[in-house]
Amino acid sequence: MNLPNFFLADLPPEATLTPGMIKSACDTLRRNRERHLAQRSTESIIKTLCEIAFEWRQPENPFRRFALERGPVETGFSRPVLERGLDGFFNQFTPDAFQMLLEQEFGHADRLDRFVVHGNEEMSRRHAIVMAPELLGHIAAGNIPNPTLMSMVLGLLTRSAQFVKCASGASFLPRLFAHSIYHADPKLGSCLEIAEWQRGRQELESALFAELDCLTVTGGDEALAAVRARVPAKVRFIGYGHRVSFGFVTREALRQEDVSKVISNAADDIIAWDQNGCLSPHVIYVEERGAVESDKFAELLAVELGKREIAEPRGKIPVETAADIASRRAIYETIVAHRADARIWQSAGSTAWTVVFEHDTRFQSSCLNRFIYVKPVPDAATVLQGVDGIRGKVSTVGIAVPPEKSRELALQFARWGATRICPLGQMQNPPLTWRHDGRPALGDLVTWTDFEL
Amino acid sequence: MHTELANFAARLREEIHAAGPWENFNQWALELFALQYKYNAAYRKICDARSVTPQGVERWNQIPSVPTAVFKELELTSLASHERTAVFHSSGTTAQKPSRHFHGAESLALYETSLWNWFQENLGDGGDMIFLTPNAAAAPHSSLVHMFETVRKKTGLPPASFTGKIGGDGAWEIDFPATVDKLVDATESDEPLTLLGTAFSFVHLLDHLIEKNLSFELPQGSRVMETGGYKNRSRVMPKEELYNLIGDRLGIPRGAIVCEYGMSELSSQAYDSEIETSESGGWRYVLHFPPWARVQIISPETGREVADGETGIIRIFDLANVFSVAAIQTEDLGIRHGDGFELIGRATAAEARGCSLMTA
Repeated sequence: MNLPNFFLADLPPEATLTPGMIKSACDTLRRNRERHLAQRSTESIIKTLCEIAFEWRQPENPFRRFALERGPVETGFSRPVLERGLDGFFNQFTPDAFQMLLEQEFGHADRLDRFVVHGNEEMSRRHAIVMAPELLGHIAAGNIPNPTLMSMVLGLLTRSAQFVKCASGASFLPRLFAHSIYHADPKLGSCLEIAEWQRGRQELESALFAELDCLTVTGGDEALAAVRARVPAKVRFIGYGHRVSFGFVTREALRQEDVSKVISNAADDIIAWDQNGCLSPHVIYVEERGAVESDKFAELLAVELGKREIAEPRGKIPVETAADIASRRAIYETIVAHRADARIWQSAGSTAWTVVFEHDTRFQSSCLNRFIYVKPVPDAATVLQGVDGIRGKVSTVGIAVPPEKSRELALQFARWGATRICPLGQMQNPPLTWRHDGRPALGDLVTWTDFEL
Repeated sequence: MHTELANFAARLREEIHAAGPWENFNQWALELFALQYKYNAAYRKICDARSVTPQGVERWNQIPSVPTAVFKELELTSLASHERTAVFHSSGTTAQKPSRHFHGAESLALYETSLWNWFQENLGDGGDMIFLTPNAAAAPHSSLVHMFETVRKKTGLPPASFTGKIGGDGAWEIDFPATVDKLVDATESDEPLTLLGTAFSFVHLLDHLIEKNLSFELPQGSRVMETGGYKNRSRVMPKEELYNLIGDRLGIPRGAIVCEYGMSELSSQAYDSEIETSESGGWRYVLHFPPWARVQIISPETGREVADGETGIIRIFDLANVFSVAAIQTEDLGIRHGDGFELIGRATAAEARGCSLMTA
């Protein structure tokens, strides 16, 4: 597929970006937004976004096909993993879902377009309208593509022009998505810029920061702090730092006939994007004294990961990452030789998947890429003790629990500080209304104007 | 003391002294494996768990290796408590438990024989030396300092050859006045000087020289030996930049800078005193261990040795590790070049927290 040279990221590698080019791109984005986006109705944008998402789910769609053909080489993920991830992403874009999002965030779906007085507000006679930044920038993380794609969707929804700076080597899918938007609706596409540049080109970043109204940054805590220090005070800064997730399987969920479903759900969460997102579990805690013993659970999970490797293989990883996995395996093999209560299962002849079973309840950060820890616990309270060290850094807790107990359990985790509790198996499928790190989905981007009569 | 191990160590020392041929390395290795399996309980458990015993092994590369991280958790030694006269610690961050490599009189003697012999091969031209580290009294658990102290004694240099010290926060620092004095002496007397230290100590020294606007043209024949490894003690400087700065501020050319690769868990060290050029014409630094230690570069995916020119995890079989474990798997990455390797860096970005192994 021949993509036209429309975005900065389309330029050949020899072309060097300059601060002047960045400023010029930002000027163009603002102009295009003024002409083509600012006056457009939210309803029409939602319609277009849903059409684009629908197209991406059609097997013959050229963008989808190109993503799946070139994706493995460009991203490292295997084709089946890409397919699963992209389908899961594009499935959520329906008019109803957008409606729910807008109502959740703004009280009324028309608030981006006009002053609205709604419900109880009638009494105060105050109308309100929300506006998104004119020029929104994103410093995107490189581990998995969907957070970047989602940022682009939400920015278009709120009618911001956007400059997406992709992580080095991670521009393929954002670029392709941007081209598909341009293809469906060139005016909408003209309000997007996609760029990629090497680490250390601070003059390009500074040029970008100077132009923006708002900047979102996704990355490690140190990187975030470094960027924040260099962003001018007038630019609204939204940072998404380091987060980890884990799973918890209750003993009630381990009734014999349900076990294979729980195992399959756990495997779904581990293979989604090869476990590389901040929503992916590093550890699965398993409550003891269920119908299935926790070490048996670990063994069944290993068997399942072995099966999944055939149809949905783990992608290619750099040698440093593989060495990380190999080093950990070597350490655990030694531990297992000395402790009767520790176990390790692993793929033979490759680093494709690893399951470590150990009794230490302290949370252990995984090297990811399908390396999972399974830890037995007597109860949920012990889990909370075990994860105490990562309090405030947890995104999602995936739980396997019967409906009658789920509310109580969720309340425990919520009070502790988890910002999302979901069924095991759905960890990498947050809904469109997802509150990223517990923050409003759109609320942090927009500014309200109140009109008092 | 297990007589069999002591005898093996004594024979090995003689062989090293004699600079004998090492075609029967495999025999030495198998014999050592049998002894370590017999006398090192922690190692035996590891071998049993992998179902590999001396009876089943024919080649040295089949002998089970132990990851260096395990030295933090297990006492990987055949020495009884009362026989341990020294312990070397790895120099990781203070937050983590260090690796511990125990030594007794015999093992230290072997360690010193191994290190001195190979040091002479690679850096033994005589001449004055300064060691940019604290001395053995200040840093008794550093294998690098012990190595430098051994070299100092063998060459008859004075104790003041150590120009490093321990700072207030326990970190290694350099006595700048003492070091600069030595640099001045060498330049004035026109006697070649070799500086030995860690990469971070050179960064500290060079930063100081830059700050004070000093630079030296050390006499021809002067050299640098740096051991790599920054360990968060200074900013990381790419090798090319470090070597350029050494040339700039000390007048020592690229060809006279030697990199050393060693660790507390080993008794032998590798040097890259043979500088090679790669196909593209740039410098290639290939490290070589002495003939009584063999290196393998292992693919993390397959667990087998990689082909020449490929990258993998560095695994070493060091015969001189008689009283501990000879087969060590590091966490470092290297490129295979013949029977040597090029060091890329550390494999593990985030160290796994060691788990307690004390209960069996």
